Amino acid sequence: MKKQFLLAGAAAGLALAASSAHAQSMDYGSLQELFGEAVTTSATGSPQRSTEAPADMQIISADEIRRSGETSLPGILQRVAGIDVLNHAAGQSDVNVRGYNQASSPRLLVLVNGRQVYLDHYGVTIWATIPVQLDEIRQIEVVKGPNSALFGFNAVSGVVNIITYNPKFDDTDVLTVRGGTNGAASGSLVSTFKLGQALSARLSLGGSRQEEWALTAPLPTRHEVHDPHSASANLDVVAQLAEKTELRMEGSWSNIQEDSRAAGATYAVVKTITSSGKATITSDTNLGTLQAQVYQNQLTAKYSIAGGIYWKNTITVASLQDLFKVGTAHTFRVGGEYRHNTLNVAPVNTSDVSYDVAALSGMWNWEVNDKLTTTTALRVDRMSLERTGPFLPRAPNANNKLWDRDITKTSANVTLAWRPTEADAFRLSYGRGVQAPSLIELGGLELPIAAGPMTLDIVGNPNLKPSIVTNYELAYDHDFAPIKAKLGVRLFSQDWKDIKTGISTATLDFFPTATTNGGFTQINGSNSKLKGVEIVASGRVTPELGWRADYTLTDVEDAPFAGVNTASRSIAFQQTTPKGRGNLGMDWEHGAWEADANLHYVGDFQFYNAVTTKLTPVNAFASLSARLGYKAQNGVTLAIAGQNLLRERQDQTSGLQAERRVQFTVSKTW
Amino acid sequence: MSIRFKKLLPAGSMILALAAPMVGHADPAKDLAVAGRALTFLENGPTGRAVLGVVFDPAKPGSVAEKNAIMAALGAGYAAGAVTLTGKAIEASAVGGASGVAALYVTTGVSYGPVGAAGKAKKLVTIGSDPACVSSGACVMGVSTDPKVDITVNRAAAAAVGATFKAAFRMMIKEV
Repeated sequence: MKKQFLLAGAAAGLALAASSAHAQSMDYGSLQELFGEAVTTSATGSPQRSTEAPADMQIISADEIRRSGETSLPGILQRVAGIDVLNHAAGQSDVNVRGYNQASSPRLLVLVNGRQVYLDHYGVTIWATIPVQLDEIRQIEVVKGPNSALFGFNAVSGVVNIITYNPKFDDTDVLTVRGGTNGAASGSLVSTFKLGQALSARLSLGGSRQEEWALTAPLPTRHEVHDPHSASANLDVVAQLAEKTELRMEGSWSNIQEDSRAAGATYAVVKTITSSGKATITSDTNLGTLQAQVYQNQLTAKYSIAGGIYWKNTITVASLQDLFKVGTAHTFRVGGEYRHNTLNVAPVNTSDVSYDVAALSGMWNWEVNDKLTTTTALRVDRMSLERTGPFLPRAPNANNKLWDRDITKTSANVTLAWRPTEADAFRLSYGRGVQAPSLIELGGLELPIAAGPMTLDIVGNPNLKPSIVTNYELAYDHDFAPIKAKLGVRLFSQDWKDIKTGISTATLDFFPTATTNGGFTQINGSNSKLKGVEIVASGRVTPELGWRADYTLTDVEDAPFAGVNTASRSIAFQQTTPKGRGNLGMDWEHGAWEADANLHYVGDFQFYNAVTTKLTPVNAFASLSARLGYKAQNGVTLAIAGQNLLRERQDQTSGLQAERRVQFTVSKTW
Repeated sequence: MSIRFKKLLPAGSMILALAAPMVGHADPAKDLAVAGRALTFLENGPTGRAVLGVVFDPAKPGSVAEKNAIMAALGAGYAAGAVTLTGKAIEASAVGGASGVAALYVTTGVSYGPVGAAGKAKKLVTIGSDPACVSSGACVMGVSTDPKVDITVNRAAAAAVGATFKAAFRMMIKEV
């Protein structure tokens, strides 16, 4: 306790020693124009130039998003070096960084302006639920490797932070209408309003529909899939409360339907409604830039499994942070966060499982000299579990007191950056991330299944441990300025502990007794190691013609615990992670015309068969996406774009075959 | 040296040349663009139309050339974010009597000590492309753009003229 007081006192002392730092919230556009490069806060919480951020980060600009011709966030992310995307169905994909991807990928934390859009029921991002139109995105920041010292649980393989335009600084007005093959149709409207000197707002609306990919295998059947569609709305309001204090309020809603492999290898229809409200007050004071934030996300998700099942998940997050500079070389961030997360226990829905998390975090960035910078970030999370309500008759683990437990875990990021010349940069980094069990893993599903004369129960596991990842990385970047080209090389190594499994009905986790049924649950089933290398290069041949190329090689070695079959437990990452993936892209612009293309390659891997659920080979494949655009008069742009252009149908996973799709787009800006 | 290695020499030289960092050289127009935008990150900084005093030494050809380049870039008005800058050429010896300017741009070659002192007396932000001007404390801010944008602020000089930069900006620049 004495140490805690000392730490608190030291933090307060540092804050008091901080020099006066008067400012407004961050104006990404002006800072980007000033420095001639993207700026970000996703590495440390402090504003930084992208080339100086102490993290392995790639930033996708609004122009790159527009010119990609992609219609979904996973399609855009697929072009980032080292990103793995499993395209299971039209409009449904799972995304992860450098291997360990899976159905319902839980290791990539996804946020919009810092608000979590990762869904805690399964621990998954359902990309179509993200209530953001592509036209309102300023940039997508992709952090590779664990960063839970800043963002908390589940930022383990990486972080995707989607930054939208800020209505206070950015006047964004775009109408886009798109139609294409296979019944594809979508539209979006983004409009910014200035309501006097002190109030700015941006409203966005959008919707889309398309036909599901063709059913060319025995499963899924026509009854097991529906055509995907989505609708969403978002309102972003910034109010200048005082000269140095502003309030930003964001509200959103989405309603989507898609075909998911959330239940494992097989397909199920998922329908979700999400809504959120967020308020952030930022004030520049003599103690630094103070930010207080509170938000709540609500999710209703219905799955066509077990005869129909639904979950309602509510997460409430409140945080407070101070960002300040001490002297000329030291930047600090100190923060605290509280979150409450609750889920009904389906399908009976008479019980709830929940947890509270209290967290303290800090960051210290020290510019040792012009060439050397160190960054250290630490975060301690304490999670307190709870379960209330009755259990299934004869269920194993039928004691709410089993949930009365606390989990305390520490996350860390340490980076040493050295820039010996203007053209060379080295970065050595260590990261330790924590992946929390999802609410369903902790007990959000209690499902009896008939097994001959017996009943067996699928139940949660209150004793599940978080998975821990340790990541080491050495990065080198060189700027070949005379030929306008850049080269980056990354060497990385990951060590995963206590990877959580899926449910396996091949092995009983609970044996039947005189008073309880047998049953199945999730367990900590494996450790795993990954080694890899990534090469990224880009350049411009002429001012009009650019190119980029990347290749990421990974090698995964699983070390399952005694008695665990990684394939039947859905954690066979050694088999399901392709060794190689890469991109080759070009962009060209001449007058009113612009053309872009990206060839995406994925090496051989195996995945769970939709019919047998066994591991099945997926052969290496290449897919081409391209766009041709023409900027007409009065802010009108016409474009034709397509995905999977090389083949009419292609096996990209073990499930539905990805189809060639072509869209024609008309957009108008004003 | 074998013939084989001799053949490799030109290719090796080219690789070394490509790998070498590009030698920076000042571009007054680019420096002006950065300086103008940087002024918009001042608390209560200039907005709308503002006059930038371009300080030069008529005895130094380099200084005169830079002044001419800056004045040409400013033209009838140079928009940099929320501010549109116009220029007013000021001989270094006349800075003490200068009026109607929002900030001073000190060209390379000017004896910046007296100019800095005059700027402080008038509570004017002084900006220079010569790193020595800011490190000495004569200039509040130093800017360079080649091979990349670098901005340095001298905290003591800024405090002396009552200049405070916005927090996000401060965290992204060098301070001395």
